[in-house]
Amino acid sequence: MTVKHPLTAPLIKENPVTLSVLGICSALAITNSLTSSLIMSVALTTVLVVSNVTISLVRNLLPPSVRLIVQITVIASAVTVIDQFLKAYLPEAASRLTVYVALIITNCIVLGRAEACAMKENVGTSILDALGNGFGYSLILIIVAFTRELLGRGSLMGYQIFEPASQGGWFPENALVMLAPSAFFIIGVLVWAIRVWIPEQCEKPDFEPMPLPKREER
Amino acid sequence: MRKESPLRALLTVLVTAIVCSSIVSASVVLLRPIQLNNQLLERSGNILQLTGLLPAGGRVEDEVLLDLFRSLDARVIDIDEASLDSEFDPHTFDGRGAAADPELSVPIPPGDDLAGLGRRSRYKTVYLVWRDGALSRVVLPIRGAGMWSMLYGYISLEADFNTIAGVVFYEQAETPGLGDQVASPHWQEKWIGKKLYDATGEILFHVAEGPVTEGSPAADYQVDALTGATVTANAVTALLQYWFGPNGYGPLLRAMREQPPQQPESRPGQEV
Repeated sequence: MTVKHPLTAPLIKENPVTLSVLGICSALAITNSLTSSLIMSVALTTVLVVSNVTISLVRNLLPPSVRLIVQITVIASAVTVIDQFLKAYLPEAASRLTVYVALIITNCIVLGRAEACAMKENVGTSILDALGNGFGYSLILIIVAFTRELLGRGSLMGYQIFEPASQGGWFPENALVMLAPSAFFIIGVLVWAIRVWIPEQCEKPDFEPMPLPKREER
Repeated sequence: MRKESPLRALLTVLVTAIVCSSIVSASVVLLRPIQLNNQLLERSGNILQLTGLLPAGGRVEDEVLLDLFRSLDARVIDIDEASLDSEFDPHTFDGRGAAADPELSVPIPPGDDLAGLGRRSRYKTVYLVWRDGALSRVVLPIRGAGMWSMLYGYISLEADFNTIAGVVFYEQAETPGLGDQVASPHWQEKWIGKKLYDATGEILFHVAEGPVTEGSPAADYQVDALTGATVTANAVTALLQYWFGPNGYGPLLRAMREQPPQQPESRPGQEV
């Protein structure tokens, strides 16, 4: 394996959503609209960059016993500021994202990168790592949202692509795709596809399934 | 990492807290005016779209929208007195706050509580639209419990206080793809021209169980069902039954029908 690059590795090879299965909460909740997902992606990437840079800058000053408190405070502040900006400048989008912007605080990707990267690496690497992970998360969100909005409403970013049946067109909207579980299905298919492509991602089974007894022994 | 001491840990946390809270407070304080303005713009847009004063289809400048909204004849009505006037100033009265305020609201007996409200404010802000000295429309706020969330909306009636001139549900958190169709402009358009009451004054308006059969006697009082969202659709029917029944706007509308309100002389609301 070549040396991992902090910007490109998290796109697919070490994607935070499909490999570590982090950030699933928002991936389920807001991916029924492509616009919301794009805004969420930008918001999360920004938070990641801000928190990674800040924590990387002060990493040598932080006493280990309180480092998590400081990390979470920095993340929570960044998220609150971004939430306020969204409410001021993109009020419609903010009202559709409701609590999910504020919930970036609990998005494990952010704290995970702060702990795993920013506490050890210099600022430059931390920025690249934040961008890489942000883009990796965004990539999955956009794929899921693209599929869900197109199949569920026949539209993309609010623009009608297919004329939906409820308004006299031919396209039957799929209500299941609009509900949160469908994001699980799509992410599941993505995880499967990526692991077929990169088999190293597959975890070893926790245990060998017990062999079935032979027919005559049953 | 350096060696750890309790004092150092305390100082680190203290500095972090002060720095972060200053940044957060600053952003909240600085962005507050813009956010309030957004809320006002949204509310003005929702109400004005029901008044018939906006040019059809076109986008309106923010300032024009706010000026139009300020020129509306807003009244804080007293529901139980069936009166168009009360001691409150419509520009500062907080209708949502009032619904939770024990001084300003009344509990609804469970048997009458069709909309699942629990309590309701005794006062509501309504908007009268005047045209050439005559009342042309009245915009009334409505709300009721849906499947998951409280549905908030406005409904606009023609001067007969019976024909629906428009409806908007501007706040809801119903099931995506099913119940959230209440917020779809396409569905809300179907309400225009429908009637609330029949000739005897009984409320017949409801969300149908399927598509409305045009030409049937009930078609005047029905809108199409929301596909797959029976609970939300029934909630919409129930909240209209409540707000236009004897415990809601019913008495006020009857009073206005018997004695139509006159356009006030020196109030805002008569733009040329």
